[in-house]
Amino acid sequence: MDYPKLDKIRGTTTPLQLDVVESFARGRLSRREFIQRGAIVGLSMASISAVIAACSSSTPGASGAAPTTGASSGASAAPPVAGGTIRVAAQRPSGPLDPILMQDLGSYGTTAMVFEFLCTSDPSQPLVALAPGLATKWTPNDTGNVWTFDLRQGVKWQDGTDFSSADVVATMERLVTSGNSGLKGVLAAGGAVATDANTVTFNLVTANGNFPYLVSVFNAQTLITPVAFTTGTTLDQKPNGTGAWKLTKYNQASGATFARNDAWWGTSTPLDTVEWIYFDATGPMVTAYQGGQVDVIIQFDILSGKSLLDDPNFNSVALQAALHRQIWMRTDKGQFVDKRVRQALALTFDRPALIQTLFQGKADLGNDHVIAPVYPYFDPSVPQRAQNIDMAKQLLSDAGATGLSATLHCGQILEIPDLATLLKSQAEQAGINLTVAVESLDTFYGAQWCPAAPADPPCSGSAELGIVDYGHRATPDVYLNSALSTKGVWNASQYSSAAYDAAFKEFQTSVGVDAQKTACGKIETILNDDVPIGVPYFYNFLSGSSKQFTGFYSSGLGQAFFATASKVA
Amino acid sequence: MGRYIGRRLLLSLVTLWLLATIVFIIANVLPNDIGRTILGPFAPQESVDALNEKLGTNRPILVQYVDSMFGIVTLDFGDSYITSQPVLPQLVDAIGRSSKLAGLALLITIPLAIVAGLFAARRRDRPADRAIVLLGVTSSSIPEFVTGTILVVVVGVHFHLLPVLATPPPGADVPTQIRYLLMPATAMAIVYFGYIARMTRAGTIDVLQSDYARTATMKGLTTSQMMRHHVLRNALIPTVAVIAVQIGYLFGGIIAVEKIFNYNGMGQTMLFAAQRKDIPMLTAGAIVIGIVYMLATLGADLIIAWMNPRIRLDAER
Amino acid sequence: MDVTVTPEDVLSQASAPNSERAKARRETIRVLIRRPAFFIGVVIMVGWIVTAILGQRITPYDPFNDFDTGQLPPSLTHLMGTDRLGRDVLSRVMVGSRDVLIIAPLAALLGVVAGTLLGLVMGYYHGVVDDVISRVVEAFLALPVILVALLTLVVLGTSPIVVISVVGILFTPIVARTVRSAVLSERQLDYVTAAKLRGESGPFILSREIFPNVVGPTVVELTVRFGYAIFTVATLSFLGVGIQPPSPDWGLTVSQEYNNMISGVWWPTLFPALAIASMVIAVNLIADSLQSVMSE
Repeated sequence: MDYPKLDKIRGTTTPLQLDVVESFARGRLSRREFIQRGAIVGLSMASISAVIAACSSSTPGASGAAPTTGASSGASAAPPVAGGTIRVAAQRPSGPLDPILMQDLGSYGTTAMVFEFLCTSDPSQPLVALAPGLATKWTPNDTGNVWTFDLRQGVKWQDGTDFSSADVVATMERLVTSGNSGLKGVLAAGGAVATDANTVTFNLVTANGNFPYLVSVFNAQTLITPVAFTTGTTLDQKPNGTGAWKLTKYNQASGATFARNDAWWGTSTPLDTVEWIYFDATGPMVTAYQGGQVDVIIQFDILSGKSLLDDPNFNSVALQAALHRQIWMRTDKGQFVDKRVRQALALTFDRPALIQTLFQGKADLGNDHVIAPVYPYFDPSVPQRAQNIDMAKQLLSDAGATGLSATLHCGQILEIPDLATLLKSQAEQAGINLTVAVESLDTFYGAQWCPAAPADPPCSGSAELGIVDYGHRATPDVYLNSALSTKGVWNASQYSSAAYDAAFKEFQTSVGVDAQKTACGKIETILNDDVPIGVPYFYNFLSGSSKQFTGFYSSGLGQAFFATASKVA
Repeated sequence: MGRYIGRRLLLSLVTLWLLATIVFIIANVLPNDIGRTILGPFAPQESVDALNEKLGTNRPILVQYVDSMFGIVTLDFGDSYITSQPVLPQLVDAIGRSSKLAGLALLITIPLAIVAGLFAARRRDRPADRAIVLLGVTSSSIPEFVTGTILVVVVGVHFHLLPVLATPPPGADVPTQIRYLLMPATAMAIVYFGYIARMTRAGTIDVLQSDYARTATMKGLTTSQMMRHHVLRNALIPTVAVIAVQIGYLFGGIIAVEKIFNYNGMGQTMLFAAQRKDIPMLTAGAIVIGIVYMLATLGADLIIAWMNPRIRLDAER
Repeated sequence: MDVTVTPEDVLSQASAPNSERAKARRETIRVLIRRPAFFIGVVIMVGWIVTAILGQRITPYDPFNDFDTGQLPPSLTHLMGTDRLGRDVLSRVMVGSRDVLIIAPLAALLGVVAGTLLGLVMGYYHGVVDDVISRVVEAFLALPVILVALLTLVVLGTSPIVVISVVGILFTPIVARTVRSAVLSERQLDYVTAAKLRGESGPFILSREIFPNVVGPTVVELTVRFGYAIFTVATLSFLGVGIQPPSPDWGLTVSQEYNNMISGVWWPTLFPALAIASMVIAVNLIADSLQSVMSE
């Protein structure tokens, strides 16, 4: 350990940053976790590498684990070939390309080709870690309720005008006015202030240790648009961003074409053109790849893309993610009120078998809580629940629920109907008789999961048992808040636990890594014991490209980055 | 003839109005909160309200009905809920693409089916006839999505003979376009082959049994002479009717095919609009298809009237 | 699909006087069973109906809860291989006919019953009633069945009842048109005039006099519609708005498995697809034979 060097860095950090540095120096954070956390609290890349260098002599357990397969593998390969076109299979935008009001992955991806975020996603861990975008540095004050963002200098809009703090402030105002769900309750109107042309200060409503996530790729509407932009204007009407690509053609029915922006601030971009082709389902994307008509698939599911995993010419990328399913059980009325019944059902899950059958092993075990192993504050010390039919039977008979019979509701999406089928058969081993009811997503959400009425508390009209899908989030706040806290808006199990609510509050307000990890340990223990929701797995985010291309990566929210992508020589 | 056409046209207009009304009724069984349905359960209520206001979907149902009927008359089918663009240009593009696909399917199937039908009729109840009838029943029994998938795997993925996506690169020449469309068109052609062949066969047999055909035979005409001069014209009447009806059906059956081949025609546009509750697009699509269908049946009626003057005179009486 | 039977052909036989009707019917059946096409069709249909009824009692494996390794190719242990979850494809194909054998006949029946009623009324009362209903029927016929079914199912949400109603209602106008023209030619015949002179009421003449004489085309229409109903329901299931999982329905299975064909796993798709084809072919063979025997 190079103490003098480390001390020098310590002297320049804020308390929040210092906490992260200390955690790493003492070996409580792996290198990977350190990079991730460091970026959040605004440590510059230079400082991060300096700290790593200073500590490199002794960093026990710092594995620096790279993603399962090489998202970054391209970077080290042969020098990039200049020129060429890459053809991308993407989800079709389901609405106008309005950066502020858009709600779907197709729009997120298309707009993020042209516009940029203050913080972008880090290629080494694109699903959870931040990297500088239009902001080069971000620093919180001591309490974490004021954040200062230094903006990149010399950035130009594609129409040639200069990018400045006024653009950022105007964008933030539009977001707050239109009720951006991520910023709600965190940033109020007038909260973003331009200190000078290259600095913006955010005065938050409450302290928030994860604020940079809310102005990053992971809050997809926070793309920075020019000061003169208005809500309702779409990308195709005013294709004027700061990004590496210029929109040259857009047609929702077929696709979009982007040409290299030679005036981009970043390193020179090898490819000439990126062509997006829109699809409504993964199946045709896979067919198109097999037929040689696209080179990249931004995101695919294992159900229709299984063949890609075995394809020797396809470089598939499986990234650990927080994508999961919640099997909710009503805790306030019905047959699952008794905790032992809920535990019994969770004990019937054969998790490794589910992961193998449904995901070819490309998933992490779930332990009936929402802190995915991909998060840096995941506490692995809570014992993993495994299938135990005898114990399940015992618990059922203790609770007087032998011969339990219930309907398992779910929506018609991805592997969920198959999951329901497998769960039914596993539950049968313990004498639980489940009837699987699959409905179209609209019907399912509206009638089984969270019916609009009765509205208070939210979701109080939900079915007693069901499976609902949750997408990836860079932090678990949404899961913890909406699905599990008392009166949460998506709390289908009507879970209400003072102990849990306290632990969640502790997580939200804690700003240090240690503190967050401690809070997560409590959350995990409580949820694992109460089982308001069963969580059998967290499955990997899958994307990939033909081996003829390299250097592309994807954020997990539809956005894909091609600035360093190139043809292989 | 003029009065006949006039009457047919007038009736078509009435039918069109009824059709538009039926579609409007179906579409408005929907939950009233169009904004919520479009934006999904996760969107904030403010955005939903704003969207409903913008779309005009919070107005009374009768106002919306009158508005939409008036729109049809002025060829204004409204803006798509999803893209906010007028739906008609999008539909015209999609219809254009679907017409190419359907046209190619008909081009493949009509000559083959007519020849097969005539051939079978002349060898009535002999093995060749039995085989063609059986083939016809079989081919029209297999849904397009089944033949489509099998073609994709065998021809596209296994042998790499034809592209698996039907959309040709922009600016492709005609042979290239045909190459891309060949597989989906074949999947569709197989289904229609059965109908058309059987109809031709039935029509030909009817004519061959008729009195004037017997007279012609007695006059000493050879079978092939008679086929050419008398039978063909009359036997094709039911066939023309079937082909016209099939044009309407083509647009229904095309949905599955376009889904498999990811071809952005009418079927895919409609499926996409249905999944996203894009009511203006769906209504306009159904009406436009209705118009195409009616034009086709009108055309068929005129052809039939021209082929068989008795029908024409009947109608004018 | 709206190819209609030309009823005039069928009529010559059906309009025989009442006393001879039973004899003619016996004769028809005798001719029918001699036709190989009819025989094959009946054998296939009976086969599917029997497997549907016996279901799990005769399948080699439990089609729902018996999970072997996924995607095993056909072998002696699994004659048709296993599907993506490791279930026996043969067992699932055997029970896969159940839903469609309930939904399709009911839809066809609904369409034929409603269509026949409508057709009788239109044909008999002629005049304004006929003109008005005919316009509506025409308008319905201009709408492609699959598209309207898709629209309606998306709007109403999918359930077996809705699928039956939607398909049934969409078939109604087609049947109505066929029955109407049959009735039109019946009502000019002497026995109808006689009944009118006797002072019989319209409903009486329709149900007692005319209807028995249009039973022929109605029966043919029912078989034809049954074939189309299977075809339509399978396509709707493939598009995701028909029969819902976890049913082992064939059309649904094809839509769930067809992506895997690309990686060479063709058996879970091919066998259900062949099953659909065999059933529709069987029904159409029966319908075709009925039609041609009745027109002879």
